[in-house]
Amino acid sequence: MNAPLAETRAQGIGVALPRKEDDRFMRGRGGYVGNIRMVGMVDVAFVRSPVAHGRIRAIEKPEGCEGAVYTLADLEGVQPIVANSGLAGFKCSAQPVLAGDKVRQVGEMIAMCVADNRAAAEDIAAQVFVDFDELPAVVDMLAARRAGSALVHEEWGDNVFLETFIDADLDDIRSKAAIKVSRKLRTARQSMAPMEGRGVVAHWDHRLGQLIVYTSAQMPHINRTGIAGCLGLDEGQVRVVAPDVGGGFGYKGILLPEEVCVAWLAIKLGRPVRWLEDRREQLTANANCREHDYDITAYADGDGRLLAVDCEATVDSGAYSSYPFSACLEAAQVGSILPGPYKMEKYRCRTWSVATNKPPILPYRGVARTGVCYAIETVMDAIAVQAGLEPWEVRMRNLVLPQEMPYDNITRKHFDSGDYPECLRRAVEAIALPAVRERQRRGEADGRRIGVGLAIFCEQGAHGTSVYHGWGIPMVPGREPVTLRLTPDGVLEIRAGVHSHGQGMETTLAQIAHEVLGIAIDKVRVLLGDTGITPYSTGTWGSRSIVMAGSAVGVACKELKARLIKIGAHLLKDEPAMVTWQAGAVVGPHGWKRIADIARTWYLQPQLLPADVDPRGLEVSTTYQARRDSGTFSYACHAVVVAVDTALGKVELLDYVVVEDGGVLINPLVVDGQVYGGAAQGIGTALYEEMRYSEDGQPLASTLADYILPGATEVPAIRIEHMETPAPYTEFGQKGIGESGAIGSPAAIANAVNDALRPLGVEINQLPITPRAIVEALAAASAASATQGRNA
Amino acid sequence: MKAAAFDYARPASGDEAVALLAAGAGMAKALGGGQSLGPMMNLRLAQPDSLVDLRAIAELRGCRRDTAGGVETVLIGACTTHADIEDGRFDDPSRGFLPRVAAGIAYRAVRNRGTVGGSLAHADPAADWVNAMAVAGADILVQGPAGRRTVAAADWLQGAFTPALAEDEIVLGVRLAQWSAAARWSYYKFNRKTGEFAEAIAAFVVDPALDLCRGLIGALDGPPRVIADARGLLAALQAGDPAAADAELAAAGLPPGSYEHHIHRAALQRAAAQLKGNA
Amino acid sequence: MNDKPTSPLALTVNGREVSAVVEPRTHLADFLREQQLLTGTNIGCEQGVCGACTVLVDGVPTRSCITWAVSCQGAEVRTIESFDEDETMAELRAAFTAEHALQCGYCTPGMLATARDIVTRLPQADEARIRLELSGNLCRCTGYVGLVRAIGRVLEARRQRNLVEA
Ligand SMILES: Cc1cc2nc3c(=O)[nH]c(=O)nc-3n(C[C@H](O)[C@H](O)[C@H](O)COP(=O)(O)OP(=O)(O)OC[C@H]3O[C@@H](n4cnc5c(N)ncnc54)[C@H](O)[C@@H]3O)c2cc1C
Ligand code: FES
Ligand code: FES
Repeated sequence: MNAPLAETRAQGIGVALPRKEDDRFMRGRGGYVGNIRMVGMVDVAFVRSPVAHGRIRAIEKPEGCEGAVYTLADLEGVQPIVANSGLAGFKCSAQPVLAGDKVRQVGEMIAMCVADNRAAAEDIAAQVFVDFDELPAVVDMLAARRAGSALVHEEWGDNVFLETFIDADLDDIRSKAAIKVSRKLRTARQSMAPMEGRGVVAHWDHRLGQLIVYTSAQMPHINRTGIAGCLGLDEGQVRVVAPDVGGGFGYKGILLPEEVCVAWLAIKLGRPVRWLEDRREQLTANANCREHDYDITAYADGDGRLLAVDCEATVDSGAYSSYPFSACLEAAQVGSILPGPYKMEKYRCRTWSVATNKPPILPYRGVARTGVCYAIETVMDAIAVQAGLEPWEVRMRNLVLPQEMPYDNITRKHFDSGDYPECLRRAVEAIALPAVRERQRRGEADGRRIGVGLAIFCEQGAHGTSVYHGWGIPMVPGREPVTLRLTPDGVLEIRAGVHSHGQGMETTLAQIAHEVLGIAIDKVRVLLGDTGITPYSTGTWGSRSIVMAGSAVGVACKELKARLIKIGAHLLKDEPAMVTWQAGAVVGPHGWKRIADIARTWYLQPQLLPADVDPRGLEVSTTYQARRDSGTFSYACHAVVVAVDTALGKVELLDYVVVEDGGVLINPLVVDGQVYGGAAQGIGTALYEEMRYSEDGQPLASTLADYILPGATEVPAIRIEHMETPAPYTEFGQKGIGESGAIGSPAAIANAVNDALRPLGVEINQLPITPRAIVEALAAASAASATQGRNA
Repeated sequence: MKAAAFDYARPASGDEAVALLAAGAGMAKALGGGQSLGPMMNLRLAQPDSLVDLRAIAELRGCRRDTAGGVETVLIGACTTHADIEDGRFDDPSRGFLPRVAAGIAYRAVRNRGTVGGSLAHADPAADWVNAMAVAGADILVQGPAGRRTVAAADWLQGAFTPALAEDEIVLGVRLAQWSAAARWSYYKFNRKTGEFAEAIAAFVVDPALDLCRGLIGALDGPPRVIADARGLLAALQAGDPAAADAELAAAGLPPGSYEHHIHRAALQRAAAQLKGNA
Repeated sequence: MNDKPTSPLALTVNGREVSAVVEPRTHLADFLREQQLLTGTNIGCEQGVCGACTVLVDGVPTRSCITWAVSCQGAEVRTIESFDEDETMAELRAAFTAEHALQCGYCTPGMLATARDIVTRLPQADEARIRLELSGNLCRCTGYVGLVRAIGRVLEARRQRNLVEA
């Protein structure tokens, strides 16, 4: 007797399978919000504030178009967006969906204009007249903290959303430390700049009595909760569909005032309403991440062993606390993860989340980890210089060791598994450090200076309830739900509340199902993004989806398999104990039944089912929580070689290596893609991207010609090496790595540039490292040494 | 953002185009490839009442070779695209200089549509043609209601985005003398990212047959600094004396010690070295 | 809003002759997306920088966001929807998926238009040249690694075939 047709091509966990979703995108059939066409659909353009801070005296609707313009006064009963942190001392900001009496950032929405198409809506918007009393703008976060600063929210009395403090007595450390290094560091405000902007199409479905909101979002269920809350609807009256999303990176993990406005208008007009964010809106109204300031001191013994870190960190949180991550997640993270992968005796950190007249901050890929990694890794290099050691040697002396795993660090982060020193060793080897040092000694024919830089870090991902509750954000993730359903022809539908915006979840979740059930990948349909057909989830963020939803799929598939075996055995007239599960079929001594056979039986031939069949049938809903909710800790070391053109200040990346441990990899192709893409974004953070503001709070870049994103010539052929230490607490040993690439690259590149410039007496302590920064720093250094020379 | 509304016309002759521009009384604009106008209009930074598309005017396409007073010249039509020049689909008098410059402008898709005339008329001090044509000693041929006139490319920019061109005039083309086999050139463009506008441009063109040794400091706040006789500067730079450039850099309005001063000086040094390498 | 000026327009879109009336201010990308319902051409900036909107106009890659539809009178326009029978595109698509050259897919139609231009126009392109030619198409997801490899793979296969045929 023949065995059932086994699926011979490997499709399970660990296979670098090309993605199921690629075909539609390559044929121009992606289903982005902007591609939705509905009869009678109208377009919205917003009137946005041209001033950073001002009181609105009057808004005049253009004559003849009054009915096409809406202001807050028209939006009766619509609630403002509020995202309160649970941490003590937090000051609340309410963000009206259209400005009330005041605007607090350039680009804040003041009025909504509607017309048959966007161009016509913009024509109307251009005629709306707003009379302002301009107020002094709060632009710099450190200045904003000082007494006497203008106030973003007058009722607060200062500009601080929240101050946190982890205290420690450092007296003994100070007296015994042979090495003390201090640095003041800055990272620029950035725009996450996914290639697709945000966008919303909303309409009211009379049959369902439901508002349907299509929105380019990472967390559709959260948006639904938020929209229902602001509009005073029952959640059942709102369905949010996030269709294909053209990149997220955190930019689309937010409840938008635009969503609330457009949804309100769709109800008001009784017709479909659309708003598509354009690039100018994105850059000028929504540059909203990464802006940190560090004043950091580290103490070490003479051998470079860390004794303590003492830091004051300020985060520019912008004008409002955005929902659901709040104005304070970023700073809370800084406080808790600054120690990085290192051991130390003492740790002290004070943080401020500061309100300014800029867009509200959102967690961009890596969130605070990118800035934190830059801060701690800069300091590690400084210690190395003082100790006369190679940067890797200092790190090696301070990393948590594999035999100490799992390890609770100084801020009680529970590092789950891994071999950090090995990761570092391999990166140093892969970058061929001795050869680079030799090249540095020889010098370059073209006069450029070579530098090499390292950054090692761990990335907490898929952390759950206790962690986020501790960080005080209004949305705390819990158990992750998933629903499986077999159709009568044996196709498996996976319904998950997470979403995919490039991460390939349609493929990787199917691979997990294949791993457990042996079902062919093309018989698995992964349904995401639609609150109408997926279970409630906080969505995709925090490197959590493959750990949480992936594990949930695995657990559910196991449950489904048990039910299938029971029915299959009955059909085969065998005891369940006599049959096995092979390649998507129940196999007994006398024959086999495929998934499709069993599914057909359940739905259409129930007379054949056993009397005691599981009444829940072929639909499985389950939820998953890791055995510990403290998160997975993937880790990586980035090593980079740069050539710095000192005359022009230009940095070229000559070689770039990432050694990465993401636990068990579900699909290495997808994982590599995440790391490459993240690293490219980190290169942007390191060298190119900055949203600068004028003294009166005007954003100084409104096009992609001014806000420079790295292109194919700015990103090198990055090399990746993998380690695979299984995560101890997840279903398949997988770890979250979605943000990893973007965490290490700014630190590694900055260290490399500073390694190149150190012999010239220059260290640059801000990101991005622009030609101007390099040239000016070198000029200052040579002017200083000239004066010194004269004085000597 | 979407452009404000405008009218559109596609005249078949230069005269017709000029008449349409004149009728627009300052609110009509010529349209070349639209690669500068498009972004500006989409941002509503430019809101002309009407566009006069020049691309159907046969005279503005292709090249014409002439000899006058013993000098052989080539007139490159205003609607010649950057890609035409990059690929050598034109009669090149410059021994490869213009194709090299063209290849460094923007990106291929922009070069496929953007025109020489449009770039000159746009008069961005950081753009490539305004600088390349100035150092090349080209003449720009212009037609207006009063007829045709010629402007030396070196005098073309009156200021940033202000060409020596009236609102009812169009650029017909650029005229260059044929360079000799002994001609040498260099062009150094410093920008932060491939395809973007320059932060600094430096160039040299030397042709003994035309008694030409010009240098240029470009991508300034205003018009480029053209160094009509660059022999001394070139020799000094090639001999490794960067300070020799300081007088010219000062004349170009670059404050000593500033970032701008540094990068323009470095660009000049590199252009000089490139020229040496080309010898 | 019908008080705005309009112009007649006749051109070929994906091999089909199309006549339409457009506002002159409508750029080619909007004309294709909103009037022709060819939504495969994505818009990423409308500033000419990102390349997401790249289509072929008279055979060459063109930024459709800064090209007015009216100025395409008589032109032949090809969008991503038109390449299902195109062998070069089939090869590129296979390479794109094998090398994981796309994630969110938003830049992909523009990337494919540019990639096709690279492999047909520059058969000898090496990695550095591929990167240079690709520099006008931004991708925020992939870090370009898969894209550069995929295009290199197709170029190499074509070179091998030409050697064999020669
Ligand atoms: C992303 C991007 C990057 C770029 N990078 C560079 C770069 O690195 N270097 C560079 O030099 N340029 C760059 N450009 C600009 C590009 O070269 C444009 O093609 C050029 O500046 C304008 O040419 P056009 O034919 O497209 O002119 P249009 O945009 O059509 O017109 C520009 C101006 O010239 C006028 N005009 C056009 N033709 C004529 C004419 N014949 N007579 C009179 N007036 C006319 C118009 O009225 C308008 O004022 C870039 C553009 C983009 C979008
Ligand atoms: S949308 Fe056309 S270049 Fe970005
Ligand atoms: S795949 Fe997302 S922008 Fe390229």
